[in-house]
Amino acid sequence: MKSILSVRNLEHRRGGRFTLAVDRLDFLGERVYYLVGANGAGKSTLLSLLALLQPPDRGQILFDGTAVDGVAQRQKLRRQITLVEQAPFLFDATVYQNLAFGLRLREVRGELQRHRIEKALQALGLTEFASRRARALSGGESQRVALARALVLRPRVLLLDEPTDGLDRESKPLFESCLAELPGRGVTVIIATHDAEQPRRLPGEVLGLEAGRLTKTGATGPATTNIAMENA
Amino acid sequence: MGFLIDSFRHSLALILSLDAEVVRTVWTSLYTSTTAILLAAVIGVPSGTLLGLGRFAGRRAALTLLNTLMALPTVVVGLVLFGFFSRQGPLGSWGLLFTPMAMIAGQTVLAAPIVANYTVAAVAGADPRIMNTALTLGATRSRAIWQLLLETRFGIVAAIVAGFGRVIAEVGVAMMLGGNIRGYTRTMTTAIALETSKGEFSFGLALGVVLLSVALFVNLFLNLLQQR
Repeated sequence: MKSILSVRNLEHRRGGRFTLAVDRLDFLGERVYYLVGANGAGKSTLLSLLALLQPPDRGQILFDGTAVDGVAQRQKLRRQITLVEQAPFLFDATVYQNLAFGLRLREVRGELQRHRIEKALQALGLTEFASRRARALSGGESQRVALARALVLRPRVLLLDEPTDGLDRESKPLFESCLAELPGRGVTVIIATHDAEQPRRLPGEVLGLEAGRLTKTGATGPATTNIAMENA
Repeated sequence: MGFLIDSFRHSLALILSLDAEVVRTVWTSLYTSTTAILLAAVIGVPSGTLLGLGRFAGRRAALTLLNTLMALPTVVVGLVLFGFFSRQGPLGSWGLLFTPMAMIAGQTVLAAPIVANYTVAAVAGADPRIMNTALTLGATRSRAIWQLLLETRFGIVAAIVAGFGRVIAEVGVAMMLGGNIRGYTRTMTTAIALETSKGEFSFGLALGVVLLSVALFVNLFLNLLQQR
């Protein structure tokens, strides 16, 4: 199977001392991946690089086998990759307007926009929140809105940084059942987590990160292990 | 004490009767200051955003210069621009000296650094997640910057209000570049200075009350905006 997102000879410095170094890593399409590791292991940095929010200091990121190069290409490909940060930022607007933001940028308007937003809200149990001010929501509600805002864009790669951190016990199953459906809809999901239970609840490939280096790989549940990886 | 109370009564009467001289002076002040602050916003908000977000050589020097410009004495601005606009000056042929245009130019120079500096503070202090969120949702960099400005709109409005406060209350530029010509370039502040020196305390007080009311109104507007 073809890799949707790959990393080659990547090196990225952060804060002077920390260096993320990954020689080779391939993410196959329509799978769930977990990046596990302690705080500061480099999970968020790797996600940010995979989200094409910044270029790596050295090495390449490939999307669909093509090396990502230049501002214009990164900007174009970002329409297919969406990152939900650990503490997501919601715009100072209603929940509906937050979901409409990315759709408007993609020229999805009118009835189609409304339909997609309603569907995304419904999937995460947020239908009644549409007209609420996003800033007035609790941490767990904000997390769900952020996921709905990403899902409504139908990205090919969804990157989630500690997505269940702010969720209450009741919201987790809904959130994870929503994630479980994504590979079947053609979405590759890459989750950075330190929740050791999550890979057991939602099967996927597990990649370990320690001090900026990949340490291990393996699969949980029925997902197939088919990952090429060499440590730096 | 009686003098003060009588003067205050008289000044209120001037305001309430919409005295033509008072109205004309207030209009000149509002017209020049509003135009100047709009121009200052057009210059100050983008340059403040660039300085707040950009990382380039000379940024620190530019910020120091901006801080210095914020403290520019109004008479110095008036003096320098007087040199430019006077008959022998490089822009003398434009015939701007002692016109509202010259006052607007001077007030723009006064307000732009204030607007820029407050914008730098608003933008640099904004939540760093705003830009990344907009980018990851598919925005271009310029659209992400626009989103950042929308999210920091109270700071930006405060920057513009601070600039407006500076120009509506200044005397030096209006006096030196406007010439305090009655019915043409006479503003509230220059009229207060002149009329009081002529012994027309009530007239000066009336304009002082209007000036204070404008400041109060602008701040109420800002508060209202922040509560929304």
